[in-house]
Amino acid sequence: MFFRKVIITIIVLFSNQVFAQDISANEILKKIDANLSADNQVISSKMVIHGKRGDRTVESKSWTEGTEKSFTEYLAPARDKGTKMLKLGDQLWMYSPGTDRTIQISGHMLRQSVMGSDLSYEDMMEDDKLHEVYDAVIAGRDTLENTVCWILELTATEKDLAYPKRKLWADQKRFIPLREELYAKSGTLLKRIDFKDVRSIDGRWYPTRMIFKDVLKEGQGTEFIVDDITFNQDIPAYIFSKASLKK
Amino acid sequence: MFKFLLKGILRDHHRSLFPIVIVVLGVSLTVLAHCWINGILGDMIDFNAKYSTGHVKIVTNGYEDNMDQMPVELALGNVDELLAKVRKDYPKMEWVERIRFGGLIDAPDNKGETRAQGPALGLAVDLLSPDTKEVERLNINKSIVRGKSPEKNGEILISDELADKLKVIPGQIVTLMTSTMYGSMAMQNYIVSGTIKFGVTAMDKGAMILDITDAKYVMDMQDEVSEILGYFSNGIYNNVSATTVQNRFNAAYKDSTGEFAPVMLKLRDQNELASMLDYISRMISIFISVFVLAMSIVLWNAGLLGGLRRYGEMGLRLAIGEFKGRVYRSLIYESVIVGFIGSAIGTIIGLGAAFYLQEVGLDFSDLMQNATVLWPGVFRAKITLPAYYIGFIPGLISTVIGTMLSGIGIYKRQTAQLFKELET
Amino acid sequence: MGAGLRTWLNVLVLSFSFVIIIWHRGILDGWNHQAEVDTINWEIGGGIYWHEKYDPYDPFTLTDSHGPVPYQLKKEINAGNLEPILISQATIYPDGHMQTVLLKGIDPEQMILALPTAPLDTMINEIPAVIGTRMAKSIKLKTGDYMTVRWRDVNGVFDAADIRIVGVFKTNVPSVDNGQIWLPLDRLQKMMQMPDEATIIVAAKEVSEPILTSSWEFKDHDFLLSDLTEMIRSKSIGGSIMYIILLLLAMLAIFDTQVLSIFRRQREIGTHMALGMTRGQVIRLFTVEGAMHGILAALIAAIYGIPFLYWQSVAGLSMPAGTDDMGMAVAEKILPVYSVGLVISTTLIVLIVVTIVSFLPTRRIAKMNPTEAIKGKVI
Repeated sequence: MFFRKVIITIIVLFSNQVFAQDISANEILKKIDANLSADNQVISSKMVIHGKRGDRTVESKSWTEGTEKSFTEYLAPARDKGTKMLKLGDQLWMYSPGTDRTIQISGHMLRQSVMGSDLSYEDMMEDDKLHEVYDAVIAGRDTLENTVCWILELTATEKDLAYPKRKLWADQKRFIPLREELYAKSGTLLKRIDFKDVRSIDGRWYPTRMIFKDVLKEGQGTEFIVDDITFNQDIPAYIFSKASLKK
Repeated sequence: MFKFLLKGILRDHHRSLFPIVIVVLGVSLTVLAHCWINGILGDMIDFNAKYSTGHVKIVTNGYEDNMDQMPVELALGNVDELLAKVRKDYPKMEWVERIRFGGLIDAPDNKGETRAQGPALGLAVDLLSPDTKEVERLNINKSIVRGKSPEKNGEILISDELADKLKVIPGQIVTLMTSTMYGSMAMQNYIVSGTIKFGVTAMDKGAMILDITDAKYVMDMQDEVSEILGYFSNGIYNNVSATTVQNRFNAAYKDSTGEFAPVMLKLRDQNELASMLDYISRMISIFISVFVLAMSIVLWNAGLLGGLRRYGEMGLRLAIGEFKGRVYRSLIYESVIVGFIGSAIGTIIGLGAAFYLQEVGLDFSDLMQNATVLWPGVFRAKITLPAYYIGFIPGLISTVIGTMLSGIGIYKRQTAQLFKELET
Repeated sequence: MGAGLRTWLNVLVLSFSFVIIIWHRGILDGWNHQAEVDTINWEIGGGIYWHEKYDPYDPFTLTDSHGPVPYQLKKEINAGNLEPILISQATIYPDGHMQTVLLKGIDPEQMILALPTAPLDTMINEIPAVIGTRMAKSIKLKTGDYMTVRWRDVNGVFDAADIRIVGVFKTNVPSVDNGQIWLPLDRLQKMMQMPDEATIIVAAKEVSEPILTSSWEFKDHDFLLSDLTEMIRSKSIGGSIMYIILLLLAMLAIFDTQVLSIFRRQREIGTHMALGMTRGQVIRLFTVEGAMHGILAALIAAIYGIPFLYWQSVAGLSMPAGTDDMGMAVAEKILPVYSVGLVISTTLIVLIVVTIVSFLPTRRIAKMNPTEAIKGKVI
């Protein structure tokens, strides 16, 4: 058993080493996308928000299908328990059990922060596959947390992306980002995301802790911790309907 | 000498009555004019005090820096203790809790889904305590367009325009979406008990008023509130007293620092009101000096009149051997007494009238289309410190000057001539 | 009329009352109109063409409320009669706190609004910006300071750049100051990727027949000033009490002088009566004379009052500008506003009051015994 694992690791390492030398930036990006996205995923997570009045931890469970459909139910703290969020395309609805109301979040509200975090609803909703909307070049190499990385520079191929430029530190072995920086058109750094605690889940590497930081804003940023994630499940269609908000 | 002159004034109505009546009338008009102009020019200040600044206001350091954004996360803590302290330290002032916040008002369709929504500006005040003065302070009852003021928790007022926009009528339910003090999302249903007109477009576009306990609940506040406002019991902003209270309070908290440390602001330091206050006091001084000038001319005339009437008497007195200087001086003394008595009575009458207009006011709301929070339609005078002495300026000085000028005649004319005037 | 100096003194006092009442009211109205005048000068000019989706009270509509300047208005813009302004939302981070602001783009060479936009006409690396004193205080910036601004262009793409404050202005109109940053129009258009677009277009002079275009609506003074109009209307009710108090003062002056003149002229009255005039005739004579004072006073008041009031209305009543360590100080003054109605009604009311007040003391004449009166011993 142990032996097998070592062999696999060696093979993986070796093959990576081989490819590493002449793989193109866009191919790296594709591999990263393959690691991070799936047809659908179910995530149980915690979000640690460092607020002015202390830290808060919000627990939730999300069902996501493709890039268009997503359903989230908040589990803790008690005040937020039962609050649900449904995203279909560019539309978003919130449901709160206390009011038994389904409220549409539209336009400008999407740019507001979610639960006081460093993420906006829009940030949460944006999950296009990187290789489909960015063109990448290898800009250099770096070592992050004892891991050798490529530094990829991503330039948007579509003109309506929120972040026209990104910098991505890609793990040369596992093909996952270890750090991502989001830039404004002018080149000003806006946000930084650090990816940590990479684990192997269902045969793919996945970072289970992410720290989001709005660099222009003071504060410690927002931490996103994946407690459990499963890929390519059978998610019933009714989950992604307004009716399921009230359940 | 004084006693003699006083007796003369009191007993000889010819000497005293008419001049005193004129002085009284003039002085009371001056005092009244002063108080009235103070009242009507100060109404913007008043509105600010009632609606947002208080006469003094306690917030946190951090809140002060970002006051425009109404940051509930920077609310004051330990409010019960703080309130008890200020109520004990400044018993003559009235202290109230307020929360201002931003949010979204959402009106449901019959499935409970969004039918219409709009951004809302929230103001939480004490609406429901049995002895609350906030309802009156904000002129809520008179500004209600439809429905009525909230009578129990869970009821709110929204601006009439917002109600129209959302197609909501009193009795229907709307949902407020905002965030708690900790940044969590907060949603709460309320019954719209009535709609209100503020008279300021920004607020008429989308403001809501709710009870402070409701707001605390939805924003997850227990012993917190974003602002504590203090009002002087007479309802009038006095910068000197406010500064004293402010200095004392801030000195007591000078050791607490950081974003959440309480700090007291006075009205003058908020909402750009310093320049407004200066502007008003300048306007008042211009008005009043012009008024005093005009009044002085009138009273000078009266003084002149008083002097002229008595040429005969002067002639007689000179004839029996009084010195011109002595007669002249006695006239001046007399006019000082007349001026003083007149000014005193005039000030009392003027203040009385002003007090009535301050407490009761003149209600023009029938003339106006509808009363609003900003324009209650009741105009009030306002008694400030200068009202107690301003009347003496025209009352005393112009009477004396008038007498002085008319008295010159004594020097100009021969004794015989004056005496002749007595004869005719 | 023969009383000479005394008559003229009375007339003078009365004429003072005239001028003071009109001036006083003018100043009060002027003060009330000040906000209106300031708003016109600083914000709304002669009226504004709004983009059809523009709602100043809902800043979130700004993402949609912009469009190309209509070609029908181009000629007027080039002639300097219209000024396009583009408005967008942006985020700044004073002290590390996120704050939403409005960016407003305006031509630095514009002459329509009182906004001091000239400093924007400068060649620096950063984006030049002017802000009002309130904004400067709120975000703790002064001339020469830098700040990062983050915005999203027409496609929603994030962009950020440094702005440099090139001027701080002081205004009485908070709505061009609070929470906003003024930039050169062409820079903002480039930043937002909205070439030649605007959100509002301000007119220099009042427009009687607005040019109709499909997606722009003209908002006139009635609409834009409705808050202030309401305020002025309410204030003028309160102000009219002042008018009454001033009238009472004028009455007192007239009453006083009339009493004086009757006292001075008892012998004359006695003589009139002795010569066979009825009391009624004498009363009429004095009342008319009193009223004549009024007319004479009006004339005198006109002689020195009109130049004085005119001078005031042009020069204004200067107010001490509060010492402000930052910002370009704007001369603060109040321009009195005199309406024709005010002058006519004041004149009429004063004349009527003069007549009544002149009549009141003359009733004493009715009680006079001619012989006593001739002796001057009645009063």
